[in-house]
Amino acid sequence: MTMPSDTDTLTITIRKRPWWFWVLAGLWVLLEVLFLQTALASAREGEYRAAAISWIAVGVLAAAGVLVGFLQGRSNTPAR
Amino acid sequence: MQGVDRNNNVERERKQTGRRALLTAAGLIAAGGVPAAISALGGKPSGGSRKRAWWVKAVDRPTLGQKTGQFKRFSGDNIFVIYRQLKAQRDGAGSFEAEQAAKTKRLAGWMRDRKPGFRLPDHQLSEGAWTLMKSTEPGAGLLSWTRIAVNTPAELGVGRHTAPPEEMAKTVKAAARLYGAGLVGIAPMNEGYVNLRQEKKDIVFEDAEVPAVTDKKFVIPRTMKWVVSIAIPMDLDLLSRAPTSLGDAATGLGYSHSAFTVASLAEFIRGLGYQAIPSVNDTALSVPFAVEAGIGELSRLNKLVTPEFGPAVRLCKVFTDLPMAYDKPVDFGLVEFCRKCKKCAESCPSGALSFDDEPSFKTRGPWNNPGHKAWFEDSYLCFQHWQQVDNGCGICLASCPYTKAAQAWIHDVVKATASVAPAADGLFRIMDNALGYGRQHDPEQWWTRDPPSGARG
Repeated sequence: MTMPSDTDTLTITIRKRPWWFWVLAGLWVLLEVLFLQTALASAREGEYRAAAISWIAVGVLAAAGVLVGFLQGRSNTPAR
Repeated sequence: MQGVDRNNNVERERKQTGRRALLTAAGLIAAGGVPAAISALGGKPSGGSRKRAWWVKAVDRPTLGQKTGQFKRFSGDNIFVIYRQLKAQRDGAGSFEAEQAAKTKRLAGWMRDRKPGFRLPDHQLSEGAWTLMKSTEPGAGLLSWTRIAVNTPAELGVGRHTAPPEEMAKTVKAAARLYGAGLVGIAPMNEGYVNLRQEKKDIVFEDAEVPAVTDKKFVIPRTMKWVVSIAIPMDLDLLSRAPTSLGDAATGLGYSHSAFTVASLAEFIRGLGYQAIPSVNDTALSVPFAVEAGIGELSRLNKLVTPEFGPAVRLCKVFTDLPMAYDKPVDFGLVEFCRKCKKCAESCPSGALSFDDEPSFKTRGPWNNPGHKAWFEDSYLCFQHWQQVDNGCGICLASCPYTKAAQAWIHDVVKATASVAPAADGLFRIMDNALGYGRQHDPEQWWTRDPPSGARG
């Protein structure tokens, strides 16, 4: 963190994430693990369509997670 | 500056704590929580007995199959006999023989043309799978009603094995699972489920000490009050290739495993000092005993569907005088699911399965035993379709949403949810189709799969 030269104080805002964020994060991880396992296992079962759709679900969920994480990061950055 | 540093540390620590918490949560869920939860959902086997999943509930009465006063012992004539008679009645004398000759000619043509699923190796794979079953006959050889080779306790110089009924049940179930049972339960003997005749002889209950097969009758001692009902899982890798010779190999293999399992279990029970009668499709109806033993529920197929393997099982049983604790019927939401699903009926090429919303007492032919409630099937149409393929069909078994290889956890999640929240049944049916389940797998691919088989539920 860079200290502004024209002031000798710095205000840091700590925003505690709400409880539901962690619930959603847990659910996200749960679904990612479930779809990932389904994708791998479906291929072993010879159910290639199910495997392909599960891989798509894994990808979409991962992208959504990254996007939400990015937006959360931006909203937590104090305005200059 | 110290304040700033401290604040920076707080900020860094907060971020680290957040990340740590997230990673810890993820790790816990991924490494422990999910597998543990799924394991609990799936109820994986442990030791000699299969622990049922929490969503398979024991109930006092079967969910379907209620009997009325009209329910009587079945004639014992199988569909092969009935079909032949009906075919002659409808299409004239010799029509059955003509159909068989046409089938043989058609099969030979498919073999010469190397039609996938019907090539010579495919056909002979099926024939090989049937070997053990085709070498059996009720009351003789492997399915002997008296001991084959086992030494009795008296010959070994000891008394018969005794234990409380609960412990006896566990012992017998452990042995059954070792010999090949995927599921095993104990039901009370019900004379109403035993056929009237087989092999042109009467089946009778008498106050005899041992089972007997004479020139005129099969004798079941009245002391045989226990039925060990067994489900043998079919090979899903083969069944998913139905209706081909490969699909039929799954059926043959299931029956051959059944014969081995009941023969071995009967010898084990005789070795403990009791009487035992092994039975595959012969002697008695397998489905009602399996329903009462809690193996599964009666379905739209008018066959048993199990929570673990769906309808992809072959049923067999052993009658005995060995006292054991009885099991109870189960309810895992199947009847409600069948009401909405109808995928088997839509998949059936012959239109043999019922599309009715509700099960009824209305039978559809002499192959149905009246006096109980069910979704009755038209076995004549079903068997007619069998003549168009190699030996059997099996599409209904393969297409049922409960027929799933036990690899993906999502199957257990779906079955558990269907059990407790029937409102989701329609969605699951749509998803089953969308994900491509129940479609025929490439027959040729079976021979090159690594490993070529092994997805036995």
